[in-house]
Amino acid sequence: MSDLKISNFKKWALATTLATYFLIFMGGLVRVAGAGLGCPDWPKCFGSWLPPLNINQLPAEIDPNTFNLVLAWIEYINRLCGVLVGFLILLTAYLAVKNFRKVRKIWIPSVLAVLLVLLQGWHGSVVVSSKLEPLIVSVHLILAIFIVSFLLYAAQVATYLEVNPSLQASKDNSYRKWILLLWLAGFIQIMLGTQLRSAVEHLLVMYPLLLEMEILQNIKFIDVLHASSGLILGLLCCFILFPLLRSTSTLSLNLKWATRSVMIAIFLQILLGLAMQISGIWQILQIFHLWVATLYLGFVLILYLELSYRRE
Amino acid sequence: MNPNFTLKNSIWGLTGIFLLALLASVVIGLSNRSRVPPLRFAEIPEFKFVERSGKIFGKQEMLGKVNIVNFFFTTCPGPCPLMNAKVAELYKKYITSVKVQFISISVDPQRDSLTVLQRYAARFAVNDQRWLFLRGPQAEVQQLSEKGFMLAADGLPGLHSTKLVVVDAQGFIRGYFDSFNEASIQLLTTQVRELLKEL
Repeated sequence: MSDLKISNFKKWALATTLATYFLIFMGGLVRVAGAGLGCPDWPKCFGSWLPPLNINQLPAEIDPNTFNLVLAWIEYINRLCGVLVGFLILLTAYLAVKNFRKVRKIWIPSVLAVLLVLLQGWHGSVVVSSKLEPLIVSVHLILAIFIVSFLLYAAQVATYLEVNPSLQASKDNSYRKWILLLWLAGFIQIMLGTQLRSAVEHLLVMYPLLLEMEILQNIKFIDVLHASSGLILGLLCCFILFPLLRSTSTLSLNLKWATRSVMIAIFLQILLGLAMQISGIWQILQIFHLWVATLYLGFVLILYLELSYRRE
Repeated sequence: MNPNFTLKNSIWGLTGIFLLALLASVVIGLSNRSRVPPLRFAEIPEFKFVERSGKIFGKQEMLGKVNIVNFFFTTCPGPCPLMNAKVAELYKKYITSVKVQFISISVDPQRDSLTVLQRYAARFAVNDQRWLFLRGPQAEVQQLSEKGFMLAADGLPGLHSTKLVVVDAQGFIRGYFDSFNEASIQLLTTQVRELLKEL
């Protein structure tokens, strides 16, 4: 494997990871904008590959009441971005298999990402046909988290190999298991958040007359649980990461960067969560709350890999 | 990844977040604005029919509430039971509000006597006056369906419409919804929500 190959792959995989993060942001945006059913069918939109540009282009059998031009195009652009990112991931896996067949830590996660992308594409149709059943929408997010994690893993390993091609993962597990705990706790916290959102949506469907604030009153238990476990996760980060930051002499620059990024992400999350409690679920906060949560998992993964490969 | 918390990188990061926030605000703003208040189609004409309880019921009784109206007959074999099962779902959904009322008008008054309508209502577990079942003279029902609600009523009772019509608190038609289409029904609940805000 040549230096050029690894360097190109690293750049490509990183760009794909960033594009996937952008797609996750778009997905959150579609959900918050209420455009998930903007196209009621899948993969086509109102029976054609390009959504109608005005109400007159609707096929006769479709109820014009169900058509909203803006929502249809928001959903359609999200689907287009999805297809584009899907192709980027496919190319990443192709490059990985072609050039790094001997480096399992690169080609396996890349191929897994492609398999999950295929699953995600099919699952997109399930999301639409389920009429946005909250649990199914949450599975869509979980799949996205795993896809982006696999990509990030491959990109990071390529970064280390670029510096030192014979690099092996360290066997020292003492600190890494705590970082793993931070990842798992973050993942569970995201699941709790999706449950909270599902509970809100469920109540909105069952009791369409309730206001969002009244709904939060009705699901106090899960609301309080999510908030308090978020604060506990924040404290956990402090307890685990501050000692790591203090041992500066043995830290690489990247390790410091990753540690600080995790701290900033968790701090931002707590702020965003508090702001949502006060503002009554302001839409834009909701998107960033979900997105920064996925970034947090990404930073924790980088931190884990930094500890595995470049402690010194 | 090989970044650092330098001033240059922080500026890039902040610019990225700002652009994302801008994109999100524009998209959310556009989508919120695209949900215009439901159109006003036409004002329904005056009418006076009899409810299953024996009380007179007409346009006056619809004012001040959000009304969901449909046409049916009790012996209708195919679509009516499905349509009214959907209305029954909505009836349960709005259990906490007396501001939403359901009105089902029989297109077969010969067979649908008040007793028959009472029994029919019991089949859907209707136990209050939020869902009303009306009967009136055949010619007037046809006139109301065709001219008032602008629904096809050529071969009554057989060929009546299965649309649900939403009428606002001022007696204006605000939307037609397909009782067999889940997306259309979802839209109906959103519009009812909007109309309740107007009250």
